[in-house]
Order: sequence, then C-alpha cells, then structure tokens
Amino acid sequence: MSDNHDFEPLIVAFLCNWCTYTGADLAGTSRLQYPPNVRIVRLMCSGAVDPVYVLKPLIEGAEGVLIGGCHPGDCHYQTGNYKTRRRFLALRETLKAIGFDERRIWLRWISASEGQRFAETVTQMVAALKELGPNPMRANWVA
Amino acid sequence: MNTVIPVENGEVLAAVRGFLRRLLEVQLVEALFVPLEVNEGAILPALVTDPARLSVANPLTPVMPINAARAVSALTGKQTPARLGALLRPCELRALIELVKLRQATLENVLLISIDCPGTYEYFEYTTWQHEDHKSPGFILSDYLAAAQESREPTYTGLTQRTACRMCVQPVPEQADIHLQLFGVDTSRGIPVRLRDDIANNLGMMENPHPDATEHQAAVERLISAHRQVREKELQDIRARLTSDGGLAGLFATCIRCHNCMTACPICYCKTCLFRTASFDHSPVYYLDAARRKGATRMLGDTLLFHMTRLNHMGLSCVGCGMCTSACPSHIPVGTVFSAVGEQVQTVFEYHPGRDVSESLPLVTFQENEWATLGEER
Repeated sequence: MSDNHDFEPLIVAFLCNWCTYTGADLAGTSRLQYPPNVRIVRLMCSGAVDPVYVLKPLIEGAEGVLIGGCHPGDCHYQTGNYKTRRRFLALRETLKAIGFDERRIWLRWISASEGQRFAETVTQMVAALKELGPNPMRANWVA
Repeated sequence: MNTVIPVENGEVLAAVRGFLRRLLEVQLVEALFVPLEVNEGAILPALVTDPARLSVANPLTPVMPINAARAVSALTGKQTPARLGALLRPCELRALIELVKLRQATLENVLLISIDCPGTYEYFEYTTWQHEDHKSPGFILSDYLAAAQESREPTYTGLTQRTACRMCVQPVPEQADIHLQLFGVDTSRGIPVRLRDDIANNLGMMENPHPDATEHQAAVERLISAHRQVREKELQDIRARLTSDGGLAGLFATCIRCHNCMTACPICYCKTCLFRTASFDHSPVYYLDAARRKGATRMLGDTLLFHMTRLNHMGLSCVGCGMCTSACPSHIPVGTVFSAVGEQVQTVFEYHPGRDVSESLPLVTFQENEWATLGEER
C-alpha cells in the first residue's frame, strides 16, 4: 500500500458503444468535469471484452481497467452483458489467485443517459487507485 | 451391473486384452482406441480395428504419454464415423467431457471404458529407468496392481510419481460405460467391472460381484485421503510462491515460450492460439517503446500475458492432468499453478470440470438475476 499521491493513475476503459460510451459522450457535452486519467476504447458490447484486453494494460503498468456496459436487461444484443458479468467474476478471481490486486479492475453498468454516473465513476476510480498506489508492474520488465 | 473379468493363472493383462478383444469381436464397437505397447515401455495411443493387434494393448502401464481426450476428439468431431470404444484414464475422461461441452467432441456412438488409476510417471524418466535397470515387465505390472490393491504408490525405487498424480483426488472414473476396478482388489482372482446391463448382455456377462468388491470403496477413500494431504501441501506451496516477491512473473522467468504446455493441454483446442497470430508479431518500434518505458523489456515479451490469458481461457475446465508440467522443458510447475487457480475460480461458480456433460460451462451460461449488485455500485 503506497502513500504516494503524487502520481497520476492511468485507467484504460473498455466501454460499450450503445450505453457507456454514449454516456461518456453525454458527460462531455454536458461539460461535466472529471479527471483526465482515462483512456477509452470503444467496443460494440461489453460482452466483447476478452480477458486478454484487460490483462495487457495491467501487465504493461496501467493502474486500473474499467469495463463499462449497459445495465443487465438492457443490452443492445440482449444477453452480452450477462456474459460480461460472469467473465468479470472469473477474471477477478484469477487475479486474486495469482496475487494481482483485483481491486484494480472495475465493472460498472452505465447507461447512455448516465453522463453524471460516468463522471462520478472515473472520479471515484482515480481516488481509489491513488490509494492503491502505482502499479508495481510499471517497472517489471520480466513479465 | 457388477461383474468380473475372469483371470487365469494370475495373467491380469491377458485377461484385459481378452476383454477388449471381445468388444471388437462381438462388434459392440467397430474400432477401439487403446494404448498399444511397442518396444517394451513405448506406449502408443492407437485406433485399432483388428482384434489381433490388441495382443500388445497395455492400459495397465504407469505412463500417460498424452492426454488422450484430444485424440478422441479428433476421432469423433461433430459426428462419430463408426461405433467407437475409447479406453481412457479418469483424468482423460474428465477432459473429454469438457471437450464435449466445448463442442470439440461428441459422445454419440462412443463407448467409454475406464480403469481405476494408481498414478503415472514422467514418460522419459520411466523409459530410462526401465531400460537402465532392465526391470521386468512382470514386476512392473505386479507391483502396479499390488499398489492399487493396497491404496499406495508403486515401489519403483528411483522413480517419483508425477505431482499431478500424487495430488489427484479423482482416481476413479465417474462417466464410464465400462469401469474396471483395481483399488482394494486382488486382481489375480478376477477384475471387477461395473458396466451397463445392455453391454453386459451383449458380452454374455452376468451379475457376479468380485469377492473383494466391498473393499473397493474403502480403498478408494484411503487413497484419496492420502492424496488430499499432498494436494493441500502442493497448493499451499504454490500459492505462497504466487504471492511472494516475484509472484507469477518470477515462476515463469525461465519460460522459453515453446508453448508445449498449450500443445499438451487437452482443453486448449484452439487451432490458432491468439499468441501464435500476427497480433503478437510486434513491430520494432513497439519493443523500443516498451524498453524506453520500463528501462528494459524482455525479448520476446508477453510471457506473463500468455500464461495469464491461458489461465483465464481454460482455467475453469482444468481437470488437473498435469500434462503441461510434464511437457515443460524448464520444469516449471505449470499444472500446479493451473490447478490452484482453476480450483479457486471453479469455486466461485461451484463448477466441477469433467463431472457431468449436462453441467454447463460457467462462462456460456447465465441467470438474469445473479450477482445483481455487481456493477451497480454508486
């Protein structure tokens, strides 16, 4: 646990096109202020997120990874996010099992109208990651 | 039905061969997948149609060159071309069940035959030991069967059983149509076999429990209890290594990316693994950027990513056969890592790989109202 709050955590976010990405866009058009620490990758569905997409940034040194999708029941493709939910649980447990800090990966259901929720999520995540400290993988070249 | 394969003059292997031959002769199956022994100790998994070839069949040998589930998947695909019999160890059978769920095999028209497994040894170590000391096949087999009867490891001096076997808590097959029992039993008096009534009728066998049949359950429990202790220690040790300095990266520091673990794994069926595609043919500038960012970069990189991705992709179906460890040229305990992590993730979904075909893979099934608070945090 690091007390170093001088660093800026980097978050890589995988957002679904129909809900969360649109919600993030709404945050922008509404001129809501939130930290600039997030790098967004747009996917058509949160169900398209393969664990390898989440693992790569974590291994390269990103402090956190956010997966954003539609609320269960509202998936544009009907059932994609149900699978996301299970995959996230499996991934989280795998990270725990191998000694990676599983609190670095977040799953959030954010709809297209929830610009505020998106801004809040990023703000919360940056604060939480500052508490966790820089990702030790940043200096790990053996990986 | 519980019955017995009769054994004459204590020739247990001959009795097994005779039984397998009958399966072909009465055309219960048109082809039989069994291990054949050539050159004393070299075991070749083979598909046999001529009963005469079964004179060199040897499923009672203490080695497992490959996890044959993958071979059986090659024989069945989406539709089995003939009535097939497959003789598999319990872990191979569990892997096959997982492959069926992954739509890489079918059990239609497949007769599953399995035998209690007292454990196996590293293939190379075993064949070297056998030739160097000129061990007689008779001794090897009789000790193997005695070990099964007494719920202990064989006394092959100078050889250590594969770790995956020493920690195996499922040495008895559960999904077999024909199950040959060895634990707790004096096989020189006959080999107890549990099989479906219709199969028994086809073979002209009648209900006839072996005199030692009641010993089987207790013997199995004794063996599992001993193995469980080994298992707990091995898992504890590997978990300690995973969470200590170095962690997973440290464990795989000697990994040379040969991908043997992936090739040997019965569950890793992808014809083209992501890690063999152009996605990981990085450009020169990619490596330079990484080296600048971290001060140094391992060449060729993505080792940790490979293993973590494989853990995520197949960990839920890991049946603990340990072929990955056996195949690793750097002697990394890959199987123990995958068993440890696999078990932990399987627990989240209360999933038991290989137990039942009707038990859906956790990642392809879902309930609409499960884990309802996940992702809704404010």
